[in-house]
Amino acid sequence: MRLPRGVRRLFRLDVRRKEFIRDALDEELRFHLDARIAQLLDRGLSPTAARDEAMRRLGSSVDPSHNPVHRSAQRKEQRMAFRESIDGVIQDVRYAARGLAKRPAFTLVAVMTLAIGIGANTAIFSAVNAVLLRTLPYRDPAQLTDIVLTAPKGVEFPWSWQKFEVFRDASRNYSSMALHLTQQATLSGPNPERAPIEWVSAAYLHTLGVGVAMGHDFDADEDAGPNAPKRALISDALWQRRFSADPAVVGKTVRIDGDDCEVIGVLPPTFRGLSGTAEALLPIGAGDSASMTQPWSLEYDLVGRLKPGVTAAQATAEAARAGTLAFDRYPFTKDMLTTADAAKWSATARSLNSVRAAPVVQRSLLVLFAAVGMVLLIACVNLANLLLGRAATRRQEIGVRLAIGAGRGRLVRLLLAESLLLAAIGGVASVTLAWWGVHLLQHLNPADALQAQGIGPGIAGSGFDAIRLDPVALGFTFAVTLVAGVWFGLVPALQATRPSLTDHLRDSGAGRMSARLGATRRALVIAEVALALVLLAGSGLMLRSLGRLMAVNPGFTSDHILTIRTAFPPGALSPDSLPGFYERLQARLAAVPGVTGVALADCPPLNGGCNGTIMTFPDRPQSVTGNAMIGVHWVSPNWFGALHVPLIRGRMFAPGDAAGAPRVVLINEAAAKQYFPHEDPIGKAVKIYQGGFDKGATVIGIVGDVRFGTIDSVARPDSYISTGQSHVERLVIFLRTSVDPASVSSAARRAIAEIAPGNPVYDIRTMAARVGNATAQARFSALLLAIFAAVALALAVMGIYGVMSFGVVQRTREIGIRMALGAERGSVVGMVMAEGARLAGVGGVIGVAAALALTRVLRSLLYDVAPSDPATYAGVVLVVAAAVVVASWIPARRAASVEPTEALRS
Amino acid sequence: MPAAPSLLKGTLDVLVLKALAREPMHGFEITVWIEAHSEGFLAVDDGALYQALHRMEARSLVRAEWGITDNNRRARYYSMTPEGRRHLRRAAADLVRYAHAVVAILAEGR
Repeated sequence: MRLPRGVRRLFRLDVRRKEFIRDALDEELRFHLDARIAQLLDRGLSPTAARDEAMRRLGSSVDPSHNPVHRSAQRKEQRMAFRESIDGVIQDVRYAARGLAKRPAFTLVAVMTLAIGIGANTAIFSAVNAVLLRTLPYRDPAQLTDIVLTAPKGVEFPWSWQKFEVFRDASRNYSSMALHLTQQATLSGPNPERAPIEWVSAAYLHTLGVGVAMGHDFDADEDAGPNAPKRALISDALWQRRFSADPAVVGKTVRIDGDDCEVIGVLPPTFRGLSGTAEALLPIGAGDSASMTQPWSLEYDLVGRLKPGVTAAQATAEAARAGTLAFDRYPFTKDMLTTADAAKWSATARSLNSVRAAPVVQRSLLVLFAAVGMVLLIACVNLANLLLGRAATRRQEIGVRLAIGAGRGRLVRLLLAESLLLAAIGGVASVTLAWWGVHLLQHLNPADALQAQGIGPGIAGSGFDAIRLDPVALGFTFAVTLVAGVWFGLVPALQATRPSLTDHLRDSGAGRMSARLGATRRALVIAEVALALVLLAGSGLMLRSLGRLMAVNPGFTSDHILTIRTAFPPGALSPDSLPGFYERLQARLAAVPGVTGVALADCPPLNGGCNGTIMTFPDRPQSVTGNAMIGVHWVSPNWFGALHVPLIRGRMFAPGDAAGAPRVVLINEAAAKQYFPHEDPIGKAVKIYQGGFDKGATVIGIVGDVRFGTIDSVARPDSYISTGQSHVERLVIFLRTSVDPASVSSAARRAIAEIAPGNPVYDIRTMAARVGNATAQARFSALLLAIFAAVALALAVMGIYGVMSFGVVQRTREIGIRMALGAERGSVVGMVMAEGARLAGVGGVIGVAAALALTRVLRSLLYDVAPSDPATYAGVVLVVAAAVVVASWIPARRAASVEPTEALRS
Repeated sequence: MPAAPSLLKGTLDVLVLKALAREPMHGFEITVWIEAHSEGFLAVDDGALYQALHRMEARSLVRAEWGITDNNRRARYYSMTPEGRRHLRRAAADLVRYAHAVVAILAEGR
């Protein structure tokens, strides 16, 4: 039976287009041919001649495939097919849009689910792209290599100039290599400032493949130092700030750390050294003699450019060989290592790309990317669940469509249009969320916090401030949206259209279909619960770790303390005049209203690490392995009192511990335990190779451990030297206050300017802020993971609720019969909730197993918490159980409120 | 003596549209109409006619629908669309100017 056209159009049945057009053309031409033959017969032609002439005029005497009329019909056919397919797509989209508009709650939930999943993924992907994936902004960045010296136990060290020279001369795989070191320096002028500069060897820019914007690069003879002529390449920012973008700046001078340096060029605006912060580059050869003449000094980083074609394995092998040679020639210290030990020292070469961000940031980002991927997976599972539920409610309509001849492919396309439209709307909404997320990431910026601690400055152009919602990220969003739309629309569409026509129309068939859809939906919920549990376990572990971290005793009190840094240009004061200056400075600052105590040191706690060196013991044979490394801190005698660092044994510094008096040091508990395990350190002689204490000093006391590195690192051995006996030109001033410490900063700044007008005053922060920074990275990861876990849990709850509600609707009649037969409402509630508990139980078991396997990757991000921490898992399981109760309770109540008579009538 | 097919090539679309300007016709009627109105000078090639019709259908200058002829046979009737009418006006004016120009040139040559 041929259905009326209107019906066919209504249900969008496929017209057999190709054959239809050909048949029509043939019929039309047959009519034309007959008419022409009749005309020619009337004119007196014979039947054969008339037919031949008619055929000739139609052009049909040749092969039909070459017949121009057929060819033009074929083109028409193609045009119609294309137009029809476009029309079909437009109609599908319109139909899908109407369907979605009729169910606003479903649409809103689906769109929000996708927007959250895709938006969060895009934001985190933007961070991963900027920090880990985007090409470094240098020529052929894959050839750039970071080379470090490695101690026998894998500890990494920077280079001395001499070791670098041996390494360079023994290397064949590099086309160029250069040393570099970032330091803070004082830029003199009307507004003295403390700014980062980079000391570099002459080949630095050449190695990186960066040119100068103005002037010229360093010459090879800049490396001829020490004390070569002072020359500088300045940053574009400094050129604009200090020289008002003067085009004739080359040849002028800039005063850096008390030296007039000739400006030989200006760097491109986008380049500020590998640190990304340098205001000027100075040749190492222009520095002081020590940095170039002490082979055991540990100062410089080394970057090399591999020759084209050199593999990573070749670079690694050569670095190991050349690094050992460097140590053979110049042992770690001039008199401490035997040749046998030296052979264990080496060098390691690795891609510059791999050190572009601090390892902790890299790990955090990858963990977050995995977590946010799980959120997307849950979102997609939820969407699939929603679409399955929707498909189940449309089974009658689908059955009718199949009954009147709609092809399965056509119906799948129609259902797919709905999911793609949802995905498209969700994708657009996700861009807004991603934009917001990118700003949040820039605001949280854990890399910045780490940098403030002096940890892993990273590589320029790959920090969090470089995160953008760029075409790559948007392309990622598009791809994810497309995959989500197709995949999670296709599965329900195939499911919904699978059964035969009779299945759809018969009650029993409908029941079987519902059962099949129900089973799929239950499986999806189990997957959802399992995924949510993994995320909850991860975030639970991170939160627990953060809690432990916040509870760490850093060894000092941070409340009511303001820290201010200042520095003299080298040589501004003679060593003899420094003690007097310290006293004047402390006296002046003590007079600032609100200040109750002033102390000085060279390095603040939680700084990511401070100065350190070797310590030896004159009364012991020299140890060649496991050298006594020790932190060295210059502090004013009242520093311990100002920060409430306790004296454990012995005595503190006294006024008599001044220049000329016997040198004395304090050590911390960690140093006492490590280097004097079976003896009393008080009164012992030690040599500390800094500040003139290599001539020997006496340990006079043991103080509590203070964390100078990171909050999560174990306390390291530290020694303290009194500023009365040795002097430093860079100071951290600690002000203990009776008021809000931030409120005294302006007055303190003025006071310092009065005493030392040429000194830059910078890095003014409360001690509480420094402590806050110390946990910033952990807070960053924990916060985002907690957000993702909360979203995952909410989605899982929605999924369980959806399945339970659907189940109740499907079983309304059965529940009615049960209640008519005397079932209590309580037992109905229990029955529905037991179903939810079963799903959650299976999902929970799978989730716990998966979490135990997957959370191992968090090990390096956790502090004092095991990845399998039982308390965390118990808490997570409780949370999931509570969520399941909430999600099942409402449908269970609805089931219990079913009126048996109405249910039986329905 | 009919005109050379090459002369018809550039003007066939206009002639077909002119034929359809009064009423819808099927293909054969169009050829008869053109031949009759040109007093046998313009004999349209049937194959070329259908190519022109398909081309103009794609440009929405004409549209086609099945109809029934006087002798009760199904035939495909072509009619002019509003777009076709606009096209005819423009093309006819151009063609008249063209014919005048050609005549003027030929007259000058005598």
